[in-house]
Amino acid sequence: MTIKIGIMSFAHLHAEAYIQNLRNAAGVTLIGIADDDEARGKHFGQLFEAPVFRNYEELLEAKPDGVIICSENSRHLPLVKLAAQAGANILCEKPLATTVNDAEEIVRICEQAGVLLMTAFPMRFSTPLLEVKSRLDQGELGKVLCFQSSNQGELPKKHRAWFVDKELAGGGAIMDHTVHLVDIMRWYLGSEVREVYAVANRIFHADEVEVETGGMVWVTFENEVFATIDCSWSRPPYWPAWGGLSFEMVTDRGAVLVDGFRQNLTVFTHHLQRPYWAFWGSDPNQAMIDEFVQAVREQRPPRVTGMDGLRAVEVVEAAYQSVALGKPVQIRH
Amino acid sequence: MRIGIVGAGFMGTTHAEAWAQTPAQIVGVAAETIEEALPLAEKYSVQAFPDFSSLLEAVDVVDLCTPTHLHVPMILEAAAKGKHIICEKPLALSLESAQQAVQACQEAGVTLFVAHVVRYFPEYALAKRLVDEGQIGKVATLRLLRGSYRPKKPIGNWFLDENKSGGILLDLMIHDIDYARWVAGEVESVFARKVSLIHQDSPVDYGLIILKHTSGAISHISGAWAYPPPTFRTQFEINGDSGMIEFDSQLSSPIQSLIMRPNQEAPDVGIPSSPVRESPYTTEIKEFYAALVGEKVSRVTAQDGVEAVRIAAAAVQSAKSGEVVTLLQ
Repeated sequence: MTIKIGIMSFAHLHAEAYIQNLRNAAGVTLIGIADDDEARGKHFGQLFEAPVFRNYEELLEAKPDGVIICSENSRHLPLVKLAAQAGANILCEKPLATTVNDAEEIVRICEQAGVLLMTAFPMRFSTPLLEVKSRLDQGELGKVLCFQSSNQGELPKKHRAWFVDKELAGGGAIMDHTVHLVDIMRWYLGSEVREVYAVANRIFHADEVEVETGGMVWVTFENEVFATIDCSWSRPPYWPAWGGLSFEMVTDRGAVLVDGFRQNLTVFTHHLQRPYWAFWGSDPNQAMIDEFVQAVREQRPPRVTGMDGLRAVEVVEAAYQSVALGKPVQIRH
Repeated sequence: MRIGIVGAGFMGTTHAEAWAQTPAQIVGVAAETIEEALPLAEKYSVQAFPDFSSLLEAVDVVDLCTPTHLHVPMILEAAAKGKHIICEKPLALSLESAQQAVQACQEAGVTLFVAHVVRYFPEYALAKRLVDEGQIGKVATLRLLRGSYRPKKPIGNWFLDENKSGGILLDLMIHDIDYARWVAGEVESVFARKVSLIHQDSPVDYGLIILKHTSGAISHISGAWAYPPPTFRTQFEINGDSGMIEFDSQLSSPIQSLIMRPNQEAPDVGIPSSPVRESPYTTEIKEFYAALVGEKVSRVTAQDGVEAVRIAAAAVQSAKSGEVVTLLQ
């Protein structure tokens, strides 16, 4: 049985990767795309040679088994409503929403409609991170005590202007780069965040954007593991890659240093006049899309759920509260 | 200039080697016992003194390479005798005692230097210079890491006694606290945690500190006594609004030895090292000497030592209370 998937909105650049992942996935028919920005929809439809529906309703009338929602962060909720009402299973780009209220509603709507909801946390499918998780579970690494981690990136404005728009993105670096590491740590620890402290500034690109560009988020888990997350847009545009995700996991036996994007070639070209990193590791996006398709096919919960997305949004919201208050904020689940 | 070395462990030995490369003369060594002082004294053919007080009588400058809890009492005694003082970091275990030490030196008219040696490591000194030259613009975030194994000691491991060393936040992480302040300026708030406060019996310790500077910059400091011996790793990343600087001791190591060394012995305390013509400890002592004879101004002052203790003590307080500690200057 072939699984029919559609893409709702190309606002998020990850849609450009996902559409190619769908083409590479076994037993998938890409029924097409739809976008509320007509020009954008047309552009990507042509670029990827995909049918373009006139609007989301029309795409949903074609009865996809699943949809991938890649709208602006604050516009996930209305698209989730449409898709869930039409009975489509949903893979939603991260962050699941820009507020806890919206994220809770997204989870509730999908539950009520009986559709699967997956949050796009591709790092759960990163082979180096899976390897560490497996060694941790086998007891090879000891008991985790703390993490220091970093998901620094370049200013994402050059990809899409809305990434730095407070309304559409929901914030700046904290909104953009906190959720992946929160999700990884929750996954590794099987524990929830109970306290968040965060500091932020706007020194990088101060004259270009209104949102915070520098930030450090400090999370403490219910099992007393503590961790820092550097979520800054601190990488310059001439960095060899867009940014990266890495962490040090400290255990009672020492420490493990993990870099999700170290499997690179360093390439020097006359054309670019600077080195860049060409990634040769296994594509985590492909594994994530494969899992979504498989979950839809088997009608079982995906490995990463809407609840995982909601938990990460709780931390982000608490981080903004902490920045405003200048002190740690407790999370009650 | 007659120099007395106090403490004959790793740091006393290192400082003695450095003094030997200045015009100053090492005239004596004192340690907890004369037996401990003897080997180092013999190496430089100088007298091993039975105690600190008797050494003081014979010198112009004392170089305190003793456990931290002894720094302030020794400074007070030396200042009262009109001796100049080089003091290992951290200057003191508390802000109050650090201030007391500086005040006593001012009143006695003697010079006090605090050996924040990281400022003399060529990679750290160069990065600071590049920042000062404006090469990366305004500093927004700093990431600093210093990691090694738990210090061991043949006798009386004072490093692990919080009342003597101040623990990982004060003993190890004060290096990067001082460097963060040197690069990004004064600090307005501190948030910190460390493993050993949560897991008292943990075989490893790890501390994390976030500093907010009055400039708006944010510093992230990691300190590890958690790695297998003989690891000693330092890393930094200084991110500015028009560029960045990064350093990793592992990646910039010019020699990677894959030679088998069975039963490799690690030193008591992990130490950073990269082959350079002059040891940073020697650069430091030479600068202190030049400052003492009035030829040069030292890049690190007694007040810098006080400020580093102020921030580190706030980190200890934050780790204990779980709250943000605001510093009022």
